Amino acid sequence: MAQPALSPYRRLRGQMFLVLLCFGYVPLIVMGAAGLMANREAAEARMRNVLEAMVKNRRATVELFLETTRRQLELVAASSSVEQLSLPTFLEALLDQMRHDNGPIVDLGLIGDTGRYLAYAGPYRVEGLDYRDQGWFHEVLVLGRHESDIFLGLRRFPHMVVAVKKREAGRDWIVRATIDTDILSGLVREGGLESGADVFILNRAGEYQTKYSDSHRLMEKAECGPQPLHSGVRVTVGRQDGRRQLIATTWLRGDSWVLVAIQRAPGLAALLGGQSAVAALLAVGLVLVPVLSHVIARHRLRQIRGLERERAALYESVAQDQKMAAIGRLAAGIAHEINNPLAIIQAQAGVMADMLADDPASRSCSEFRERIGKIEAQVERGRKVTHRLLGFSRRVGHESEPVDVAAAIDETLSFVEKELESLRVRIVRDYAADVPIVRSNLSQMQQVFLNLVNNALDAVGDGGEVRIGVSNKERGVAVSIADNGPGIPPADLARVFEPFYSTKGGAGRHSGLGLAICQEIMRSLGGRIAVESNVGVGTTFSLWFPSGHERGDEGGVAGS
Amino acid sequence: MADPRVLLVDDEVEFLEPMKARIERRGIACNTATNGEDALRALARERFDCAVVDVRMPGMDGIELLRRIRRDFPSVAVVLLTGHASVELGVQGMDLGAFEYLLKPIELDDLLDTVRRAVAQQA
Repeated sequence: MAQPALSPYRRLRGQMFLVLLCFGYVPLIVMGAAGLMANREAAEARMRNVLEAMVKNRRATVELFLETTRRQLELVAASSSVEQLSLPTFLEALLDQMRHDNGPIVDLGLIGDTGRYLAYAGPYRVEGLDYRDQGWFHEVLVLGRHESDIFLGLRRFPHMVVAVKKREAGRDWIVRATIDTDILSGLVREGGLESGADVFILNRAGEYQTKYSDSHRLMEKAECGPQPLHSGVRVTVGRQDGRRQLIATTWLRGDSWVLVAIQRAPGLAALLGGQSAVAALLAVGLVLVPVLSHVIARHRLRQIRGLERERAALYESVAQDQKMAAIGRLAAGIAHEINNPLAIIQAQAGVMADMLADDPASRSCSEFRERIGKIEAQVERGRKVTHRLLGFSRRVGHESEPVDVAAAIDETLSFVEKELESLRVRIVRDYAADVPIVRSNLSQMQQVFLNLVNNALDAVGDGGEVRIGVSNKERGVAVSIADNGPGIPPADLARVFEPFYSTKGGAGRHSGLGLAICQEIMRSLGGRIAVESNVGVGTTFSLWFPSGHERGDEGGVAGS
Repeated sequence: MADPRVLLVDDEVEFLEPMKARIERRGIACNTATNGEDALRALARERFDCAVVDVRMPGMDGIELLRRIRRDFPSVAVVLLTGHASVELGVQGMDLGAFEYLLKPIELDDLLDTVRRAVAQQA
């Protein structure tokens, strides 16, 4: 699992991811939905037009069909005499001819004004049928013709009747035909074949007059119920099983039948399928948004963490600066307060030494002189400490000047010549030839060198070796001072640059300030100092001085 | 060159008294003053070649005294000697015409050497 320290970042990343996801998805979904809506509206408008045209076309077809059938019957009635029509063979011949033309007429009969069949040709048994009391019979006698709705009638079978009156010799006869409802259903259904719409006819009571599929029966109440009367073609939007459907209706045959076409609105899949580019874009968006959100969230988080780290580093550096400044002020204050008493001790001891010098005869003289010498030596020791403290506290600088680094090191080494001889330490110089002259502060550089060389000498002890390297590096000069001493343990290594941190025990001249001063000086010179150490192998201090030529006189007086 | 006459100005008698003794033992005439006003009076009374002046003193401080000496007694060389070292004070002192800015404690021989050089330059 993650480290506990990471969890706030992780939570932040999660939040960021969700926010980005919302920002990505919301517009995508809104746009997608808007697109689909627009698409659906367009599709519905198109569908509406198709339905309207189809319904008009079907109405014309049905009316033509009925009219043709009626005219056929009228033609039969007009062109044949009652005598002919009374002959079953004649009627059979007529029916055969009509059926031969694939006409819709199923049977044919001649009915007298008594309401009984005088002759009949067709598949049904009609003996004994009496139409005298039926409404249509009288309608024909009065109006001259009749077209029925689909009804069961005396045949106990859904059928439709067309009848016309024939007047001959002062008497009325009726020519009656039954129409094949399947042909009518087929005519109507045909209109929906292409668009997949359900097309059928209802009567005023809302009963099916034609079948739009084999699964339902004629004369049953339609699910959509009776339709209101209106002129022309009307298209309404309804809902079935939670899906929108368009319903187009038009009345026909003198408003006794209504032609209904029901088409279901296209579903989501159909809408998307019709716009494959949009669908693909949507799909790509849906996949890409989370991926991008994740990537962006991670990237932003990395930036945030980077900034946090930078800020922490900055804080640390500022805190370090403040610490150094505070220590500097403290050191200066202490040095001031100690210098004055030291000066007095020195002066007093000096007077005593002078007095002894005036009286060389005294026996105890030499011992006094010796002890006064010790006082003076201790004053000198104190003076060095305070002066070093002051050197640390003030970042004194003179003007920068051209410095030959190798020569500066050699000059520094001459300060410790005597120590080198007594310790028998070998100095190995490894100076590169192409080292440029840098602009820097010679005395400050030498203070750094002296500190580091003294440290190295202390580390190697008798008979050791100190390697000093000078080379050209990064538009500046790199100096390394390496000893083969005991090395510094890692725990101490991290703290060697801290003021007053010393591993050398309290004795002698080691104030624990040397490396802190070096670091401070390197900082003021715009350079770098680093340390590397392996226990048992030795310690290497690496310095780098900028060439300083492009920096002007930045190494000048920097007051504190 | 005749040995110079030195005026030592410091607020600590404990410091002045042994220093005066040691300087005079080396054949150099030395007077002391414990504050700026006394120092100016001494300078007005007698001829001195060099004044060694502490910087931090109650009343008139060493920098002010230096200013007055350079103004009223331009022939007197001034050496600043202090335990309170700071770069600003050093720079300020040098700008105002001090010959040198020395830090206590200092070996007597080094001090006298500086005094001699100061006087030599003044002459």
